[in-house]
Formats: sequence, structure tokens, C-alpha cells
Amino acid sequence: MAPAPRLGYPNLGLGVGLRSGHFAYLEENEPGVDWFEAIPENFMDSHGRARHVLELIAARYPVVLHGLSLSIGSTDPLDFDYLARLKTLAAETDAVWLSDHVCWTAVGGVNTHELVPIPFTEETLAHVVERIAIAQDFLGRPVVLENPSTYVTFVESTMSEAEFLARMAETSGCGLLLDVNNVYVSSVNHEFDPVVYLRALPAGRVVQMHLAGHHDVGTHIVDTHDRAVADPVWDLYATAVELIGPVSTMVEWDENLPPFPEVHAEVLKARRFVEAVGV
Amino acid sequence: MSDAGGLRSLQEWLRAVITDPDGARAGLSSEAARRVAPGELEAIVRSTSRLSAGERLELYSRSHRMRLLEVMRVTYPGLRHMLGNELFDDFALDYLQARPSRSYTLHDLGAAFADHLAATRPDADGVPEAWTSMVIDLARLERTFAEVYDAPGAEGERLPAGADLPSGPGLRWLEATVEPVRCLRLLRSSFPAGEYLSAVRRGDEPPEPVPAASFLAVSRRHYVVTLTPLETRSYRLLSDLVGGARVGAAAAAAGIDRADSWRLVRNWADSGFFRSLAPHAQTATPVDAVAEEPVTP
Repeated sequence: MAPAPRLGYPNLGLGVGLRSGHFAYLEENEPGVDWFEAIPENFMDSHGRARHVLELIAARYPVVLHGLSLSIGSTDPLDFDYLARLKTLAAETDAVWLSDHVCWTAVGGVNTHELVPIPFTEETLAHVVERIAIAQDFLGRPVVLENPSTYVTFVESTMSEAEFLARMAETSGCGLLLDVNNVYVSSVNHEFDPVVYLRALPAGRVVQMHLAGHHDVGTHIVDTHDRAVADPVWDLYATAVELIGPVSTMVEWDENLPPFPEVHAEVLKARRFVEAVGV
Repeated sequence: MSDAGGLRSLQEWLRAVITDPDGARAGLSSEAARRVAPGELEAIVRSTSRLSAGERLELYSRSHRMRLLEVMRVTYPGLRHMLGNELFDDFALDYLQARPSRSYTLHDLGAAFADHLAATRPDADGVPEAWTSMVIDLARLERTFAEVYDAPGAEGERLPAGADLPSGPGLRWLEATVEPVRCLRLLRSSFPAGEYLSAVRRGDEPPEPVPAASFLAVSRRHYVVTLTPLETRSYRLLSDLVGGARVGAAAAAAGIDRADSWRLVRNWADSGFFRSLAPHAQTATPVDAVAEEPVTP
């Protein structure tokens, strides 16, 4: 029997991020990819080639939108102009779900374009849950939120990130995008046990997983998305699949982008971990 | 909305620290950060066994700076070539500091770069320096290039080609008007900016730019941005046509005779500049059929 869909969202299989460096390849080829993840900010205002390629992809494959600008943790008002554009793009591409990050990017009207972390407090939790409700109401569907890789933590935090995500998801009804590489990166940067983190998550709310490459600079790890997935991250992914079950998985690769078949081959490595749990 | 006053202060403080042009260390002691400081650094951000709280904030500051600089470098390859890497970065950082991003998208990041360069030109109170004007003009062209790349275009539409025009510039020709494609932009520049940018984008080494008034049509065909040089008079003609003037009036204003106006419009139609030609408004209809009608007084 197929696994129960999470929040009604299906397991799409193994996907690849839609990047401009692959546009020419994708215009000429129709690779056997299960699904694509697109960054909506790169397409929502385009009437040119980027939008053309996205439409081409959306006609052939399931598409998921993974945003950067929801700024769900910000104390600025939600940007309804952005949300409206996101909703329109989702409708036009028949996006299976919409995801973003548990962070803030803009405050005081100024956008840092960084995924800046939030303190894990009751105050922040109430604030974020309230904003998720507004966003979900506007978008007409549960949103899916990702754990970002982080480089600072706050003294005032009263709970772990995993506990925060769990309570956020249970209270708001949102889904979770588990970025396994980010868990690993943050676990090294903040000196916590990544498996304990995984065990604290509500498995049934995890809709998707991310994998990516990182760069270990000795004092910390940088989430670079510029290389193949590291072995410890594959190990953690295996644990995540055991604990949570197989869900839609994709590899993020943004810098030093190799040819499309190489990125696709990287995500296909996940197949053996999924098959290992017998699904 | 929930009461998140403490969170607000923290975020404003973080923004001040992370976006300080001189880095997080300078940001920590900046007036903007001190104004909203929710406490001492060590009481806000945890250190680890390997990095202090300040060093951790510096990671965000560096990432912020590099991310935005990289977007500017990618948007303005010609200007970066003209200025050299170091001076380009100085100009870009000055711009980013003066006009921080207020958009959800990085596509807007460089939107006001040319305006900023123009507003801060060092020769503003005296005789304009040619080099400064060329820098500003190239910035404006590169922003236009980016806009045209994403603008609504005419891909998928059947555009009138030169062969659809009347076989010759009959009297009816002078009454014709055009509807430009929505991605067509006309620019004037203090040097051949189009040639310079094209060379850089091809990976060639362009010759040293020399001041000379130049005119350019920036458009897009098959999702590829095109740069078409124009003569002074043809720029005037095309500008007036795009503004809605009839061929006769536009050609007279530009000092172009009827035959040349016909030849120019025919070439521009072949370049995909027009969605339609009126009174031959239907692009699928050959305009010859209308050209035989009597001239309207």
C-alpha cells in the first residue's frame, strides 16, 4: 500500500531544482526526473525565457515552489503583493505545494536577502504561528516550511529548533521541509546531536526533504550548495528516512553548477536509502 | 498581530549589524545598532567553542555583502569590465548602502544603480566629464538589458515582417503607424555602449570607449536580447513612431524622405520591433492590400 500522503501532499519521488544554467539542456531534452523544484522569485516577474522554461517544465513534470521571501519570522507586515504573485504563479504552474524557510529576510522594509534565524521562544512561536495562519488563509493551502542552515543561536531561546518546528507545525497545521544538510550544518555549528533533532520532529508533517553540498572551513560549516552531498549527510538522510519515512526528496545545487545529468545522478543516490526502508 | 516587541528590537539590531558596510564588528558599534540594542552582544548571541558571538555575526555580514555584490556583478558585466573589479565593487557597495533593497526579489537590486551614479557624479557642479557620462550610460544600458530580458515580449505572436509592408512607399504609407513590441526600448548614449557591452558579453576585449553620441534599440527575439545601433535620424524616426506618430510626420521631423522611411521601417519590422502596423492592424493581413486605397485627406 502506498504511504499516506502528508497533509494531502504526495510523495513525488526524487526531484531536481530548476536552475537557469540548465535551461538550454531542458529545452532540448526531457530527462526522466520525477519532479522539479523552482524558486518562485526567479520566475514570478519574468515574461521571458525563465518563465518560458518553467511553463515547459510544468507541462511535463510536477512542480513545487520553494520561496525565499515569505519572511515568516519577520516583525514587518506580511507582503501581500508578494503573496499574490506567489499564489498566481502557483496556480499557473499547478504547483503541488509552496515552501519557504523558518527565518526572516526583511525588517523595517529593508530586505537583507539573508535567511536570518529567529530566537526559539514562546513569543516568536506565537508570532510565527499567527503569520502562518494568515499566509495559509491567503494562499488557500498549508504551506511547507524549512529549517534553514544557521550560524548564530540566541541566548533567549527557551527551546530547541526541532521543538520549535514541531510545535509550529502542530499548532499552525503547516508542513515541514526537512533540509537534512541544514540539520547537519547547524548541528556542527551549534554543537548538537542531529539524530536527537530528527527524533523530535513530527514525522507525519514532513512533506519533503532537501539534500545539498556544504563546505567545512574548520571553525564551522557553510551551506554552499556548490558540490555533491557529503557522506555524513547521506548517513543522516538514511536515518531521516528510517525515522520519518520516504518523502519527496531533491538536491539543491546552486554554485559551480555541473551539467544537468550530474545533478540528477546525485539525487538518484537517495534511491538506495528509500529502497532500504522497503517502500 | 501578536505582540512581538522584543523580537522587533532584535531583528532591527541584527539588520543594523549584518548590513553595516564595514562588517559586523563595525555594525555592532554603529549608531543604528546601538539605538535598538537589546543588550550586550554576549547576552544576545551565543558563542561556541570555536567561534565568538561576533565572529558568528560576521558570517552573516560577509554572506550578505557577497550575495548582493555578486548580483550586481552579474547584472553589470560591462560596467565591471570598464571600471575594473575593485572600482566596480566600490561603486556597487556605495549604491547598496545608499539604496538598500526594499524588494522581495534580487532582480530589482540594481534597478536604481544608474540613477544613483548620476545623482552622485563628481562633476555635477561643473562641466560633465565624458568618462563619468559613459559610466552612467553603460549602467543604464545594462539595466535596460536586464529589464528587456524579463519584459513581456512577442514570442509566440506572428509579427509583421518587412515583406508584409507595401511593396513601395506609396502615399498611403505616410499615414501608417506602428505598435511596438512591449520589450522594445530606445536609448541614447554618450558613446557606443551597445558595441562595448556586446563585446564584453561575447568575452571579447572591447576597444577603449571613446565619446560619440550613439543610439540604440534594445529588444528581444526568441528570448534573446538584441542590441541594434541606430543613426541619429533613424533614432528620431523610431522614437516618434513608438510614441504614436504617423510615418509621414515622424519622417518629416527626422529629416528622412519617404523612401528611406519605408526602407527603415521594413528593416525594423524584420528585426521584430513591431506587433502591428496600422491602418494595417491585422498582422496576418498583408499591408499591400491596404496600400492601394486612396489617401485619406
